[in-house]
Amino acid sequence: MDVASINSNAEEFAIGCFLSIKTTFGDEFKGQVVAFDRPSNFLVLHILFGGGRKNVRILKANYIKELAFLGQGDDPVDLSKCCLDLSTLQAREELALRQAEAEAERIGVGVTAEAQNLFDALSKTLPVRWDKTVIVVMNEVRVNSPYVPESVSGGTPAANERVKKVLELERRRLHARGGP
Amino acid sequence: MNEVSECLKSFREWRLSNSKFAEITGLKFLLRMSVQQFAQPKSSANGYGRREVEREGGSRVDNKLHSGKSSIGKMANTHYSGGNKIGGFGGASRDRLVYFSTCLIGHHVEAQVKNGSVYTGIFHAANVDRDVGIVLKMARLTKDTSTQLQNTRADSLSKSFSKTLIVPAKELVQIVAKDVSVTRDEISNEYQSEKQEELLIDSYISRARPGDMERELKPWVPEDNDPHCPELENVFDDHWKRGWDQFEVNEALFGVKSTFNEELYTTKLERGPRMRQLELEASRIAKEIEREDTRDLHLAEERGTNLPESVDIDEETRFSSVYRGRVADDCGYEEEENILLDTRNGETFEDATSSVIGKVFSGITGGIDTGDSLLSSRSSMDVPQVSQSKDSADTLSIEMPDIHDRLLLPHLPTTLSQSDGEIRFQQTITDPQRANTDTGGGDQQKSVSHTKFSSVLKIEDSQSSSGEHDDFHNADGKGGPSSKVTSSTSSQASIRGRSKKNPPGDPLETQGGEKLSVESHGRPGSSVSSTSDRPGRASASAGTGLTPSSSVGSLSSEKSTLNPNAKEFKLNPNAKSFVPSQATVRPISPVGDSSFYFPANLSGIPQMHGMPVGVGLGPYVAHQPVIFNPQAAPVQSPQAYFPPAGPHYGQPMLIGHPRPYSYGPGFPPEMPYKGREF
Repeated sequence: MDVASINSNAEEFAIGCFLSIKTTFGDEFKGQVVAFDRPSNFLVLHILFGGGRKNVRILKANYIKELAFLGQGDDPVDLSKCCLDLSTLQAREELALRQAEAEAERIGVGVTAEAQNLFDALSKTLPVRWDKTVIVVMNEVRVNSPYVPESVSGGTPAANERVKKVLELERRRLHARGGP
Repeated sequence: MNEVSECLKSFREWRLSNSKFAEITGLKFLLRMSVQQFAQPKSSANGYGRREVEREGGSRVDNKLHSGKSSIGKMANTHYSGGNKIGGFGGASRDRLVYFSTCLIGHHVEAQVKNGSVYTGIFHAANVDRDVGIVLKMARLTKDTSTQLQNTRADSLSKSFSKTLIVPAKELVQIVAKDVSVTRDEISNEYQSEKQEELLIDSYISRARPGDMERELKPWVPEDNDPHCPELENVFDDHWKRGWDQFEVNEALFGVKSTFNEELYTTKLERGPRMRQLELEASRIAKEIEREDTRDLHLAEERGTNLPESVDIDEETRFSSVYRGRVADDCGYEEEENILLDTRNGETFEDATSSVIGKVFSGITGGIDTGDSLLSSRSSMDVPQVSQSKDSADTLSIEMPDIHDRLLLPHLPTTLSQSDGEIRFQQTITDPQRANTDTGGGDQQKSVSHTKFSSVLKIEDSQSSSGEHDDFHNADGKGGPSSKVTSSTSSQASIRGRSKKNPPGDPLETQGGEKLSVESHGRPGSSVSSTSDRPGRASASAGTGLTPSSSVGSLSSEKSTLNPNAKEFKLNPNAKSFVPSQATVRPISPVGDSSFYFPANLSGIPQMHGMPVGVGLGPYVAHQPVIFNPQAAPVQSPQAYFPPAGPHYGQPMLIGHPRPYSYGPGFPPEMPYKGREF
């Protein structure tokens, strides 16, 4: 495999030390070592940004192309505070799943990006959903590909008109912006 | 567990044989899967790729996991029980790895695989056995390098979600998670805030669209320390320090000449030999005012003093809301203030010729200013004040939680000049007992309606009471309900007698005037001052029996103690009309909304002569003797006469032309009158 051999020296991966890493895929980042698991050769890094938030990277050391030691720091992890509540985690996961699913519904499968943009724009003010590749507005009006005002059908004349109008405006706006 | 591990092992082998990485969609990946289930993928030819199992044993984190707190140690234990040979260091490190992976559960992560493609999804589980493999849920490919298609078009590629995605250890390169909370507190905080986000707030909705990505922010650095930038620290220096006169500069640069003439906007100052003296006097008075004890929250805030009770008050009350009189913490103050107002009013308005200014006070205590001499003396100095207050619709504060005990309508002297119409007030001087015993809705109503109007009534008060404020005791001390208010007397309904306000009022009262104040609290039987904090301040109204119609204003929503049979409630056709000079009615907030009839067109009338209704509510409405004539705009349409909803409304005004006109309460509120007149 295209894995650069790396010196997984334990000393280099001492906890708390700052490293600058470049992966075989070209990712570069700096982080602080939080954990290193020799058997699996996985490195856990904290990438700190301002504001107290940090990114966590779990990287397989095999894929480190370049490594630079930046300095040694203290263990960033406060072990006394490290306690996990699984129920919270699960709840969080469920929440995330719900949100993701809701989001997934909004994304059409097999539709062009333009269509998706139009869908998103419509959804700002109208209730829309996907029906395969048809945008269904307010459960009555259908907009087929190619999603031009002419392809709007169904619904009451008023609703139809409204959808047409909104569609037109959105198209215009998207094109003005440069389009997808 | 063992059989599970067996299955897992076998599947691992099976998967190893598959070089192609394939997504598994729709696969429910349960921890305690039965063997059969494990076997399924094998048999089906769906091309299920590798599957990675989650952590073995109790270290599995999954939905099925029993909830409970888990610590690293625990994890480590279960892990050890898995039979891994891990050295000390490795164990600890492994623990950390496990810990951090657990932290990621439910988090959005990006997983990069061997071929460079990146999948984004919700971290579900990880197997940290010998190698790290993960399971993502609702994952989708965000960066595809495996095929020739470079992710140029965000087509279906990036949009299709896999319900479950397993990234085997062999494929996994790295996992990137942003904004991870590591400690327990962080996690719960994050979860809490996320929970709230489930409500579809705008930011969430817009987040769905990959709109603006965050830019990396760089701190601003001024270029070359631009010399043109003025020193910010000095911007607000006193002008003499700054050496910068904007008008000069303006004129120099642009030829703009300032035409500002101070005297257009304010009183012309007599700059003469006495100037210095006047200045000193003025500043002394100013200091006195500022040092005054205040119970008003807002005032105190401005002055920087802290009311003792202000600590517990919520921010809105403290800084923002308009004082409506019913504020619990400020209850007492109103009375004080009103008393002060009354004293001022007494000074101001006692001139017989000055128009009556109606004031609406919610709580009225105090006495009637009596004594012509006093009045005239006061009035003389108050003339400017008078005019001023008359002009401003909001001279007097109307805050009154309390209700008049009774509504006393003074006989207005014909000298009322200001208003055009006639307002007839009924002398409401009654015995103290009467005043006190007055109960019933009538009183209430009267008071309430009066609150709407701000009018300082001039009350002809024949009582020349002892000027001592202490004389506000019961009517007994004062003389019976008086009589007519001397034209020079302006009665002020002091809203709430508060002992605290005594001192300022004192000098005035010692002058021999009495303030008429109507105690407005629905406590029957007590002397008018019963609600007053001021011990000495018996409701003068009780004593004098003269309730200025202004006192009317001080109606509050409490039960009225007015005596329905009081003289003032009976129509007196011979009564002189009362023309208030100004009428702003302050709605009483405590009053129920229904009780406010605010006729729409009333708002069009800029200055209403506050016509305190001197009439009792309810049944007395019919006897409304008061004719009110608004000074300014004519009343467009006569209001339907509606009986007051609550017990608090008196029926107010009749317009100049003898047309019964009822104004509902709800006039624009008067601003609290907190000034002094000198």
